[in-house]
Amino acid sequence: MIEFKGVNKWFGKLHVLNDVNLMVQKGEVLVICGPSGSGKSTLIRCVNRLEPIQKGEIIVNGMSVHKSSTNLTKLREEIGFIFQQFHLYPHMTVLQNIMLAPVNVKKITKAEAEKIAREKLERVGLAEKADAHPIQLSGGQQQRVAIARGLAMSPEIMLFDEPTSALDPEMIGEVLDVMVDLATEGITMCVVTHEMGFAKKVADRVLFMDEGKIIEIGKPADFFDNPQTERAADFISKILTH
Amino acid sequence: MMSFYFGRLVEIFPFFLTGLWMTVKIAFLSLIICTILGFILGMMRASHNIFLKRIIGFYVAFARGTPFVVQIFIVFFIFPEWGLQLDAFPAAIVAMAIMGSAFVCEIVASGISSISKGQWEAAASSGLSKLQQLRLVIVPQSLKVIVPPLVGQYVLLIKDTSVVSVIGVTELTRVGWVTVIRIPEGLMVFALVGILYFMISYPLILLSNYLEKKMTV
Amino acid sequence: MLANFNFRIIFEYLPLFLTGLKYTFIIAIVSLALALIVGIIACACRISGIKVLKYPAIAYIEIIRSTPLLVQIYFFYFGLPTLGITVPEIQTGIFALMLNSGAYIAEIIRAGINSVDAGQIEAGHASGLNYIQRMRFIILPQALGVTIPPLLGQAIVLVKDTALLSLISVMELTRSGQTMTSERFMPSEAFLTVAFFYMVIYFCLKPLADWSQKKLIFREAY
Ligand SMILES: Nc1ncnc2c1ncn2[C@@H]1O[C@H](COP(=O)(O)OP(=O)(O)OP(=O)(O)O)[C@@H](O)[C@H]1O
Ligand SMILES: [Mg+2]
Repeated sequence: MIEFKGVNKWFGKLHVLNDVNLMVQKGEVLVICGPSGSGKSTLIRCVNRLEPIQKGEIIVNGMSVHKSSTNLTKLREEIGFIFQQFHLYPHMTVLQNIMLAPVNVKKITKAEAEKIAREKLERVGLAEKADAHPIQLSGGQQQRVAIARGLAMSPEIMLFDEPTSALDPEMIGEVLDVMVDLATEGITMCVVTHEMGFAKKVADRVLFMDEGKIIEIGKPADFFDNPQTERAADFISKILTH
Repeated sequence: MMSFYFGRLVEIFPFFLTGLWMTVKIAFLSLIICTILGFILGMMRASHNIFLKRIIGFYVAFARGTPFVVQIFIVFFIFPEWGLQLDAFPAAIVAMAIMGSAFVCEIVASGISSISKGQWEAAASSGLSKLQQLRLVIVPQSLKVIVPPLVGQYVLLIKDTSVVSVIGVTELTRVGWVTVIRIPEGLMVFALVGILYFMISYPLILLSNYLEKKMTV
Repeated sequence: MLANFNFRIIFEYLPLFLTGLKYTFIIAIVSLALALIVGIIACACRISGIKVLKYPAIAYIEIIRSTPLLVQIYFFYFGLPTLGITVPEIQTGIFALMLNSGAYIAEIIRAGINSVDAGQIEAGHASGLNYIQRMRFIILPQALGVTIPPLLGQAIVLVKDTALLSLISVMELTRSGQTMTSERFMPSEAFLTVAFFYMVIYFCLKPLADWSQKKLIFREAY
């Protein structure tokens, strides 16, 4: 489904992705963790080509992501992306936010798009906020709207970049609940997060990276209880005592 | 003597109104063209095409770096040498369009750059094309930043139409200039001209101030 | 299109252009200096809160901003003689530029003063400073930085504005182009050379304005 083949990326001199090889299966839930600056965001941002790469190849559903002949629109239709800072469109209502891409990219009718949008809103538990503007919502609600917006395109893959890090602690739960729901429904998910509860509950594998390299990857139980490297052990003890 | 001239001035007042009408026509036409062109250029400037950016950058520098009167002379006297012969009125519109769209372009470009990168990324991630990202997500948001200075720019552009009098377009300033030769009361004649400009510009200045206040809160 | 561009004639007229350039400089600098004084006074009157000063200042600023510079120039050029005042065109021109830029500068300074945080002024009140002291020690030092970029922007505008004095026969840069055109009828050579010189001035001033703006944003980031 998602395959990294010898991916290398530099920001100037900084080697942010160092020979990454990875295979994510259809329906798999992969949690990515690692210290700040280790390249987690960069890793998933490459998957929908928000970032270019300098070496190697990423293949999503048979499409080579960074090939110039690849249909970027089609690629991105299949991938939903959730940002730490939500990035809802402030000039539109919640409903308009969700309908924008279905209407303009998928070219479905407004009526149909609205039906889908309301469905997705229902699913994240915010049906009554359809006509609100993003600034009228709490952070947790905004992030749930962002998830609904991503789901409206019926993507096969959802990428999350620290979806709960910008939230007040009491709002983290509501967002994670939605994500757990998704995970059990079989959407392929790559989630950058330090929420270890979430990882233990639904992740198929946990990936630990540092300095642009994949240091460890394995089942959550193995990773948390029995890390193979000192760096991972160190990291786990830090976030668990945190 | 004063009152004699004042009487004459009242007599030929309709002449001033024709001039005012011409000024309004030039201003209206060129503002529309400047706005459309300026938005297109401003959006192109936000693209990642270095070549395009350079060209627009140079064009803007020329339009902002040289006096409008020189630009009018270039359009009116030099364009014909390059095979583009224009009458005074179209030449005036062309010169206004060249100058004004550069200023609008700058306002639009800086409005666009005030929008955070995250908005672009969110729009891109959902599969919108570059043009759709601009049209549906970025530009509508940046209007808040664009509109107040744009209205301020309109006032400047309307006043700049006075300069097209130098190529013989009979707009308001030219009417004053023609009149003052027959009625040698410079203060009176140009005070009248000024009042007529004031009537168009001042409401727009107030509007611009109002928008500025409204948009910042 | 520049195939038959005649550089020889430009060299022949170079002294004329340089004289024009010199006058453009002189006019711009003198007008700017005078406009700064006028602007400071007008701004001080406007924010003084004293009615007999405030309303005339507002009227002056708004009238200038609502009418074209060219009309203002003609107003004095054709108007002063009717009052029995005959001065050389260049003085009339500088006078008009001074009044014109003065109004814009007054507004720039006022915006700078308004940009100073109200809390700062309250702190000044709280520590017992009087109006003059608050102005001098708290408001002006902070306002100054904010006003520099737009003041440089106004200087750029002023340089271009001097071109309008060519229309009342002041022998500045644009006028030298007009002179050459009327003598030789070579408008391309004349006006592209003129444009070139203005661009040179622009490319000296613009980076300065941008740089001061950047410095300012940098400072505000703290
Ligand atoms: N656009 C960029 N230009 C230059 N350097 C960048 C850019 N984006 C990221 N970096 C650098 O690349 C490295 C990896 O960044 P990345 O955002 O992928 O880290 P991360 O693991 O997501 O960290 P965090 O937990 O802080 O979000 C960091 O050192 C960062 O400073
Ligand atoms: Mg990150």
